[in-house]
Amino acid sequence: MRNGRKRVLYISSPIGLGHARRDVAIAQELRRLVPGVEIDWLAQNPVTRVLEREGERVHPASRWLANESGHMESESAEHDLHCFQAWREMDEILLANFMVFHDVVREERYDLWVGDEAWELDYYLHENPGEKRAAYAWLTDFVGWLPMEDGGTHEAFLTADYNAEMVEHIAQHPEVRDQALFVGNPEDIVPDRLGPELPLVRDWTEHHFDFAGYVSGFDQAELGDRERLRAELGYRPGEHVCIVTVGGSGVGEALLRKVMAAFPAAKSQIPDLRMIVVAGPRIDPATLPAGDGLEVYPYVHDLYRHLAACDLAVVQGGLTTAMELTAGKRPFIYFPLKHHFEQNLHVRHRLERYGAGRRMDFDESEPEDIATAIAEEIGREVDYREVETGGARRAAGRLAELLA
Amino acid sequence: MRALERDESGVVRGVYWERFGDGEPTVVFVPPWAIVHSRVWKMQVPYFARHFRVVVFDPRGNGRSERSDDPAAFAETEYAEDLLAVMDASGTERAVLVSLSLGAQRTLVVADSHPERVLALGFVAPALPIAPLHPERAHYAARFEEELDTDAGWAKSNAQYWRRDYRGFVEFFISRIFTEPHSTKQIEDGVAWGLETDPETLIATGLAENLGEEETRAICSRLRCPVLVMHGEDDAVRPMAIGEELAAITSAQFVRMPGVGHCPQARKPVQVNLTLRELMESAARSPPAPLSTTGPPTER
Repeated sequence: MRNGRKRVLYISSPIGLGHARRDVAIAQELRRLVPGVEIDWLAQNPVTRVLEREGERVHPASRWLANESGHMESESAEHDLHCFQAWREMDEILLANFMVFHDVVREERYDLWVGDEAWELDYYLHENPGEKRAAYAWLTDFVGWLPMEDGGTHEAFLTADYNAEMVEHIAQHPEVRDQALFVGNPEDIVPDRLGPELPLVRDWTEHHFDFAGYVSGFDQAELGDRERLRAELGYRPGEHVCIVTVGGSGVGEALLRKVMAAFPAAKSQIPDLRMIVVAGPRIDPATLPAGDGLEVYPYVHDLYRHLAACDLAVVQGGLTTAMELTAGKRPFIYFPLKHHFEQNLHVRHRLERYGAGRRMDFDESEPEDIATAIAEEIGREVDYREVETGGARRAAGRLAELLA
Repeated sequence: MRALERDESGVVRGVYWERFGDGEPTVVFVPPWAIVHSRVWKMQVPYFARHFRVVVFDPRGNGRSERSDDPAAFAETEYAEDLLAVMDASGTERAVLVSLSLGAQRTLVVADSHPERVLALGFVAPALPIAPLHPERAHYAARFEEELDTDAGWAKSNAQYWRRDYRGFVEFFISRIFTEPHSTKQIEDGVAWGLETDPETLIATGLAENLGEEETRAICSRLRCPVLVMHGEDDAVRPMAIGEELAAITSAQFVRMPGVGHCPQARKPVQVNLTLRELMESAARSPPAPLSTTGPPTER
């Protein structure tokens, strides 16, 4: 405490933009529940972009963090990110970043550390439980490394070994996590086992986590009337707007190019089609081909408002964007990154539960196929399962208990 | 991607070195046996570069340093000359020397011949002839060049076997380093580094002249700088008794690491980093020995 105020150090995973949005929403709710609470963020690009726009305080030590997002990009190929292997290859970056965290908390007193998929924090605290000097809360939207089919028995062995280490960590040091929050519901969890000799992911997670429900970065109700929103965003009456976005990572350029190549054929089927391509903070729009009638933008703040207003979205398989579209009941086509177990297994399972989205395979889809899918999906009425609201408030409530 | 890119690099005496950061004092991370190279310190470099100045180098025989099939090239005295040459080339007058395993030998040679250039010594899992090897390993070490009738266990530590199945040896040896469960990534790294060199080079290192017990003990008795020794209880490559003995004869601080194998800097990096940082900070506080050319004589 400083001046009697509670202090929180928040570490939000920089892999993708989704964590940042939901963590800001949680932080805002936490301020309502714990007046005067001071929240510092140990964060890096692209999370810092969101934080700076929201006026959040980025801890100056953040400049020492080794770039995880850049590493993931360096490990990716055309619409292909073997994220488990890429994450393993990131071991020295994760350790370097844990040491930055350690330096910060060695010098400064915080009452609570929050890690949203901050792998380095969770792993090395369990490896070094003596270094825990504050309450600690862990958040994640998936549990369990899962092998991709073409990884064979070796990948299955490796994922099971990592899961086994996690299970042992939690069993041996239950005191490390004061709170473990699953961003979602038990039904969102895959039916798989953590490994051949290990429990079912769902059983183990239900035993070791509380469930916040889905945590959206915004309240759908605040968006108000969709027609008015479309007008505010400059959508003309009658036009069919298709948003193409690949989130915050630089991995999505191949998908952008392929969907842009589908535009002429799609336009011939839907004459009033308007395609808006959002390159994201890590892809330079100037490197993308120009096309007649195509609109290409770099980062778009409040992209979620466009996603709520559009007639169709074409996206990767990242959880946050897909769930925003699900909550907003918008039709969407998603292309999971190849070899990305989270997008291909965890997110896909969750979206199927909600009955949301049309999954397509990047390699098997030619621009003409994508054009046809766009024509079939755009403006379609959907009947997705309802996404609950209030997740940020529930999560913040659990964090507030640790500050009582 | 690396967590941190180098600020400077060079080659001296055929040895490739890198420098990171520019704080004070400098720590030189001394490489072990040439079955691996400077990347064994990858969990240390970014952290220490943020607070101090870091120099690493690839041992001759691996990484970007020269290969040779001549055992004389790999004598500990040659490695010691390399260490001094790297310090000179990187503009490092004095440093804390932190070594892993066999790096302990070349480090001791330098600390003895040039005490004025050494602020403190950190030994991680030292490989010194001051306590016995595991009996099985010792048995086959004495028959290194013989054709054996078995390839089982430490019999793989044999020149003939290396020529037949080099990868088999590397995989075996690295698996003996990381006896801790859940070490798949460390093992993959170690095997990949081991495969960067070749059996003839490694055989030459195996025939090179190392420090003897008497000489090692004599050097240790002359050390005057602060010394820290860390050793894993479960070290299956160099028994912890070596580290304990080194600490005893140098009056060093000894950090015993339960459940840890031969590479604590890779498998328990947080504990190793925090412990070594204390050594660095105490070295920064204590006044260094005067720089002179009249230190204790080198008796090799």
